[in-house]
Amino acid sequence: MKKTKSAKALISEYFIFVIFIALVIVLTCLKPSFIQPSNLVNILKQASINGILAFGMMFVIIAGGFDMSVGSTVAFAGILAAMLGQGQYPLIVPLVIAMLAGLAVGVVNGVGVAVGDLPPFIMTLGTMTAVRGLALLTSNGKPITGISQEYRAVAANSIAGIPMLAIFLVIVILICSFVLAKTVYGRRVYACGGNLQAARVSGINTTLIRISTFAIAGLLAGLSGFLMTSRVTIGQPTAAESYEMDAITACVVGGVSMSGGVGKPWGVVIGCLLITVIANGLDIMGVSSHWQKIVKGAIIVLAVLIDVKGKSKKN
Amino acid sequence: MEYILEMKDISKTFPGVKALDHVQLQIRPGEVHALMGENGAGKSTLMKILMGIYTKDEGGEILFNGQPYKISNPKEAMDHGVAMIHQELNPILDMTVYENIFVGRELRKHGLVDNKAEIEEAQRLIEECGLHVSPKERLRNLTVAQCQLIEIIKAISINAKVIIMDEPTAAITEREVELLFGHIRRLKEKGVAIIYISHRMDEIFTICDRVSVYRDGQYIGSGDTKDLDEAQLIKMMVGREITDVFPKLDAQIGEKIFEAKDIVRADNKVKGVSFCVRKGEILGIGGLVGAGRSELVEGIFGMHELSGGEIFVKGKKVNVHSPHDIIKEGVALITEDRKVTGLNLSGSVNDNIAMVAIQKLVTNGLYNKNKARSASMEYIKKLNIKTPSGDQIVGNLSGGNQQKVVIAKWLLNDPDIIILDEPTRGIDVGAKRDIYLLLGSLVQQGKAVIMISSEIPELMGVCDRIMVMCEGKLSGEVTRDEFSQERIMTLASAIEV
Amino acid sequence: MSKKRLLAMLMAGAMTLGVATGCGNTATNDAQNSDAGTDSTDGAYKIALIQQHQTNAFQIAVSEAAEAKAEEMGVDLTILSADQDAATQISQIEQCVSEGFNAILFEPVDPDGLCDAAKSAADAGVVVINIISACTDWENYGISAVSYGDNVKAGETEMQHVADLLDGKGNIAILTGPSGDSGGLQRMEGYENILKNYPDMVQVVAPADCQWDTASAQATVESWLSAYDLDAIICENDGMAVGAGNAAGANSGIVIAGVDGTPDGFEAIKDGRITGTVSQNGGAMAANAIEAAVTLLDGGTLEENVIITDNTWIDASNVADYE
Repeated sequence: MKKTKSAKALISEYFIFVIFIALVIVLTCLKPSFIQPSNLVNILKQASINGILAFGMMFVIIAGGFDMSVGSTVAFAGILAAMLGQGQYPLIVPLVIAMLAGLAVGVVNGVGVAVGDLPPFIMTLGTMTAVRGLALLTSNGKPITGISQEYRAVAANSIAGIPMLAIFLVIVILICSFVLAKTVYGRRVYACGGNLQAARVSGINTTLIRISTFAIAGLLAGLSGFLMTSRVTIGQPTAAESYEMDAITACVVGGVSMSGGVGKPWGVVIGCLLITVIANGLDIMGVSSHWQKIVKGAIIVLAVLIDVKGKSKKN
Repeated sequence: MEYILEMKDISKTFPGVKALDHVQLQIRPGEVHALMGENGAGKSTLMKILMGIYTKDEGGEILFNGQPYKISNPKEAMDHGVAMIHQELNPILDMTVYENIFVGRELRKHGLVDNKAEIEEAQRLIEECGLHVSPKERLRNLTVAQCQLIEIIKAISINAKVIIMDEPTAAITEREVELLFGHIRRLKEKGVAIIYISHRMDEIFTICDRVSVYRDGQYIGSGDTKDLDEAQLIKMMVGREITDVFPKLDAQIGEKIFEAKDIVRADNKVKGVSFCVRKGEILGIGGLVGAGRSELVEGIFGMHELSGGEIFVKGKKVNVHSPHDIIKEGVALITEDRKVTGLNLSGSVNDNIAMVAIQKLVTNGLYNKNKARSASMEYIKKLNIKTPSGDQIVGNLSGGNQQKVVIAKWLLNDPDIIILDEPTRGIDVGAKRDIYLLLGSLVQQGKAVIMISSEIPELMGVCDRIMVMCEGKLSGEVTRDEFSQERIMTLASAIEV
Repeated sequence: MSKKRLLAMLMAGAMTLGVATGCGNTATNDAQNSDAGTDSTDGAYKIALIQQHQTNAFQIAVSEAAEAKAEEMGVDLTILSADQDAATQISQIEQCVSEGFNAILFEPVDPDGLCDAAKSAADAGVVVINIISACTDWENYGISAVSYGDNVKAGETEMQHVADLLDGKGNIAILTGPSGDSGGLQRMEGYENILKNYPDMVQVVAPADCQWDTASAQATVESWLSAYDLDAIICENDGMAVGAGNAAGANSGIVIAGVDGTPDGFEAIKDGRITGTVSQNGGAMAANAIEAAVTLLDGGTLEENVIITDNTWIDASNVADYE
């Protein structure tokens, strides 16, 4: 029983990976410039911010939650970073403040959900709106210009041809994967999402775990805001509109179950690369944006559909 | 010190309800102590207080090992050495066996989870239990019984001084029950006390040393099981004498009303089963968990794809592609898990009862609430459903009353063939008796009843004929005059007799 | 249980407080605005300005210029934001009519959807003026005047400068605002008017919808540059031009142009990431509209009921004058 399922099960478990490779091959055939190093660097850069957000989102979803507010948090943290990153302070100041701001939003979300018993969707929908307002208020509705050269360099520079943004992403991936796979905390995050009641009676402080997952999502959204401002060289209150959806998409496509308790970091990496590659590939093929939306939607639904079908067959 | 655990003068008030009224419990080290009482008697509430899930009202005290026992959450309870195996608690299905065993108290090495040690330790515990699963298997891929045993292993493994087992045998087979009892006896020898909650009388007398009985939030009394008999216990529990545990009403058995021929399920969980049932007959389906009994009736009912077989209702061949096809021929299925496939738990009693036969409650194309209410009232009375009103949310009713609501919802559709899958699981003596009487009155009206049950005494007490399944096939059939526990067990355990 | 309730209530309270603070701020703004007109409270005209939204530099410039003009002319100005929602804007107009405003200036969120609301306001005797963009067939809906910069003309100015810089030939690409946005469509019309004259300027990729967003424009242009040899990127606003400039890098040799004249655009012009922008001067549009409203309320007539604010091409040579 165990042995016979292995080949089939392996394919179904890594199906997203197969789709991803297939997509890369198709795109390369259609447009050879897709696979050029300069474009691969582009893909890394473009995947970075969504990737970091998706990893935060992954913690929340695995623990059985859901966070609509990360896009707004990116904008708010980005505004703060832009205001503090004009060269008047060392670069660590905007970085830390942006992350603390994100953390604060995350903690508010977490407390609302875990202590206030509000549905995550409602709670974070509220903060999504309120934090966007906070970003507009702080910036007075205007983009914040004039960030310092060294701040711009954070996103613009590369080390050995690898863009700094991607390095940030890799660090986040490594830390998050380690935490989820190896630490007691990570195990308990899965337990909370898998069966909250069971986790509670097993003596896990589920309230704290749930708050902390939102805090992580907020913290990483703060980091994303810092990087976003560096990348676009301005702090925009309207930035990162609907980024939460891209982050959720990356998670779901990557096999993180919306009902909680299931999800692997590598899946999220693939999910995130997959949606970046779709956008990048369609861009370089010059496909009109209207078609891009249709193709992106179809690929997402198809990928998850095939994935779900594959899994349900297994049982 | 005589007692390891003493709960004195404990009360618990919920808004509007006094769930516990100055009750007590005393547990000696190394004894198996049964808590008995009908659903709603307060057993679960008392145990939840002990586990720190609920806080008791002011007054009263709990002594553990002679020391005051003050806790506010399950973790602290476990730190004291009190563990609980919850009855309706699903395990974490997407986690592995070893992860489930160690959830909340992970083994560590350098501050990180020590997977290797957990797997080894889990392997040891599993083997000790006589279970054959890999520690790395996900619980999703295990049977209900195996999951239950994992829960038991988990409690055993924390070296608890007191283990509460809430209906531990509700979902496991006789053979696994024996294994469990083996563990309980071994734990006893080590001086571990077990608080045992069960509705199964035979188990109480087999494994328990003492018993405490509760009724309607009050403490009724305690005693040694060897000084008590079943009738006395039931009297303490229900407050009146129940002379006949399995009432059997006389009914005229008539012509064949339902027949299934060579049913094969596409997933091969049922491999060619044929049977029939007559008007006025109660047919029992016995067998071990996993024998394919639920799978058989769910296949017939159109819930799963069949790859072979024919179904005849009242002599007419029926092609079943979805439950709708067979419901309209007058067949009803009361499924095993009422919470998942039977009820809308957040809906009212009225809404639930109206769910199946909604076409009958329509006036001029619109749903007629008054009609639904009066129909629902009729069944609340007929089935003796204990609910403050038809508007009560079903999720707030006790298990037995929930089960009656499921039955009512199907009866309103006036079916001729009623299939019930484990209709009395987890419900109390009084409610069970009501259901047996109801089945009797249904066959008296010329209907046919098919009942799946894992409790052999129940099948023998209620049915006219019992067919026994094993590994997806029919292994034999026994008529009422040949009924014997041994014969049914033999049929259930192997195909070749 | 009750502890949880309490916390939930506290949370809700905190959130309400947050909202209230937000409102408080608007209220202060309003108070300031009415302060501007207090010296002539009883004689002052009450004028409402309903903006499409208040979330970018262009719109903020509109509010600031309107406030300054209102103070100068001694009118009582209230500024509202429709937050990009036509239904909100309609109810705001109705509200203003019932509160007895003398004039309503608004930028329609939707050129068709706001016509009837404007008509009812005009029928109630309120002077209605469109700013920045106009309702469809506005004259028939009682709208007295429009004060806008012509988006078609802005598009023409932008594309003409790009054509001049490229000597009339080269590979070009266009970044657009949200598909269906009327301002964007008009700018596109302006681009097409000019491109007709330059057959050697070729669009090598389909226009990309980047939702006015810098980051999204940046990603698209990065991808394009790895596959296409572009000589110019024409953007329908400055935010996207900045994104394109970030992707191409400073002094890339690619002509990158925007529209609006916002601070982030100016900054990018100064450091060579973008070539130039067309200033729309929203502030002047608002100021002109207030002037027109006062003229009409005083019983006068307008020389011209279409008040066009000229656009200007801003590049490295003159950017310092506009900051």
